Amino acid sequence: MSTENRDGLGHTAPESPSADERSTSRTARARDLFSVPAPIKRIFDRFPLVVYPANDLPQSRDSEFRGNRLFVFTDAAGSRRGRPSFNPQCLKWQAYLKFVGIEFETVPSTNHASPTGALPFLLPTLPPGTINPIPSTKLQKWAIEQVHCEEEQQLNIRFEVYASLLDHRIRNAWLYALYLDTDNFNAVARKLYVNPTTTNTAVRMVLAAQLQQAARDELLKSCTYIDVNDLEAEAANAFEALSNLLGDHTHFFDRPNPGLFDASVFAYTHLLLDEGMGWKQNRLGRVLRKYENLVQHRERLLKCF
Amino acid sequence: MLLELHVWGPAFSLPSIDAQCLATMTYFSLVLPKDAWVLVASSDPSVSPTNELPALRSGATWVSRFRNIVDYLRQYSGGEWDLDRDLTGGERADNIAFSSFVESRGQSLVDLSLYVSSQNYWDKTSPAYGAILQWPNQWILPPKIHAQAKLRTEHLGLSSLDLEAIREQKDREHSAAVAAGKIPKTLIRNPRETVSTLLSKTSQQNQFRLEALTAEFFEPLESLLGHQPYFLSPDRPTTLDCLALAYLSLADIPDLPFSWLRDAMRSKAPGLTAYTDRMRRHHLGLEVKVIDALSATSTSSTSSPSLPWQAPERASFATLGKTLYDTLADSTPILKHIRLNNRLREAALAPHSGLSGKESKAVSAYALARKHDLYLSIGSVVVSLAALVGYMAHIGLVGFSLAEQEVPSGTDPDPDADIDAVVDAGQVGDFLSML
Repeated sequence: MSTENRDGLGHTAPESPSADERSTSRTARARDLFSVPAPIKRIFDRFPLVVYPANDLPQSRDSEFRGNRLFVFTDAAGSRRGRPSFNPQCLKWQAYLKFVGIEFETVPSTNHASPTGALPFLLPTLPPGTINPIPSTKLQKWAIEQVHCEEEQQLNIRFEVYASLLDHRIRNAWLYALYLDTDNFNAVARKLYVNPTTTNTAVRMVLAAQLQQAARDELLKSCTYIDVNDLEAEAANAFEALSNLLGDHTHFFDRPNPGLFDASVFAYTHLLLDEGMGWKQNRLGRVLRKYENLVQHRERLLKCF
Repeated sequence: MLLELHVWGPAFSLPSIDAQCLATMTYFSLVLPKDAWVLVASSDPSVSPTNELPALRSGATWVSRFRNIVDYLRQYSGGEWDLDRDLTGGERADNIAFSSFVESRGQSLVDLSLYVSSQNYWDKTSPAYGAILQWPNQWILPPKIHAQAKLRTEHLGLSSLDLEAIREQKDREHSAAVAAGKIPKTLIRNPRETVSTLLSKTSQQNQFRLEALTAEFFEPLESLLGHQPYFLSPDRPTTLDCLALAYLSLADIPDLPFSWLRDAMRSKAPGLTAYTDRMRRHHLGLEVKVIDALSATSTSSTSSPSLPWQAPERASFATLGKTLYDTLADSTPILKHIRLNNRLREAALAPHSGLSGKESKAVSAYALARKHDLYLSIGSVVVSLAALVGYMAHIGLVGFSLAEQEVPSGTDPDPDADIDAVVDAGQVGDFLSML
């Protein structure tokens, strides 16, 4: 045994000078393990592939216009002439601010520009130099502070109740009609929401698919499949109820001036009745035309624009 | 012909755990003669071709959803079984608007109370589902329903009622802090919080939101009801009464550990509470037990005076196997989507689905569109991967480097390789630190 031992020692002894070498090889192996593999390193070495020149500063229009700016979905021509936006949410607030008598200019924009991820939002003039935009959820409060109009929700218990018709029944039918009805999507939504963003066909395809998927997900939140007849029947019922609520009055809840509820109704009725939208299938619009007072209500309010 | 109404089973001493089912049963007990229908607590949406409950079976026709069932009954009886036939124009408008209001707002509140508030879900709702569901479904369906309820109430910004969401948020912040290197690892103490500390922190923030939400819901209803026996007319209930009773009893009845909804209802709307009690006693029965629904043969049952329960069929081995297979297949990505679309189409094209020709065409067109979308996304992923690999091969990132890597560096202590490795680490380190 001892010979074996000695033998073993004897065997290692001649190699002992190279112990350093062995430890370096071990650290090298460890380093290899932690170092970045060559192909990946090569990829990273190539970055940045291209360095673009710095963007110009955003062209400030402050010099031409010093008013409140409402950022909505609209096109350049529409924004110059203050035309109604083609998005119901934006149109609702655009109309409301007009009705309560606040001066503003519309600016074409997209959801990506908004701090909350949704349009509309408003950049107020006052206080000067403000950089905090007002999202749509706080617009009413801001308007009340500015012009001291009434908070209409408090005046009638039916406000919130009938508003639920617009926020659910009519909105769901609208989502289907605009995004999921193939004819309408290709004729209307593509033209308004997809094509202005880019000229790249691949990006357009992806954007269009995303829009449709978002609409579908929203509708599938409350049910397991989308039943078109159901959605349209609910919307027809909702229009009937709204028409009944309006009755012979000039404005909803018999108010002397149009207000938030009128704006919310107008946002949908205008877009459904507007010939310029280019609807291919407009079953909702056809249903809506049956209620003469809603059609006249829309025409009266359109004169404000 | 006997009409069969398939619903989610009883829970919390109510005849169903689902508001739409409760509304439908109330409607049936109000308009139909007792011997014209039976109630089956099948608690399995797959009984109906549309995969939804409540579902009405009339011979070979299936109709699902409250409103469709109401419409079907009207047509089926030639206008006789219709609660809303005597309403005037104004009442009809109110009926439509308030129904939409009750369904949208009530559903959010019930979701928040029964599903999103974690203690309520784990203590009460989940066991209640366990009692009414058959074997494989009790593991499959409740998580799905739970997830859907969370999704529906996401926009209300009250996810802090959900302890799981809070924990996830904390974990995220925790790992973000570690990753940012702000806190030395040794100093980080794992946040160990009990349910009560979490609640005491969040409940004050939530209190305001919940206060506002419940007030918005109860106040218009309370003022519409006033001192009348029914919402819209002094002598006749309407569909609004059915829907309101359903959501209000789910708000009032369950004895939950975190009973904010019931407390709000009792303090803000005493009139509604009394209404709910009275209506429930007359039309749904006070103490409905699961056993009544599952074992009853529609003979007289003492506790539920008005509901003609019929015991659901026991699941056969074939259905059990199918359920298990379906669940497995449904949790496989890609396959899941294909199956979902096919199922929709089958449901729509089935001759007895209860959908009209136009409807079934629309549903199947929708399913087809989903299928195309899916193929499109699979295709685009494959194409873009191929393009990336092609590009890398083209500029020589991939091909040569593979050959180089095969040089064995461990066995051969080559000083050059060593230096290379050091340099690599340096460059990459710089790159990372720039980030």
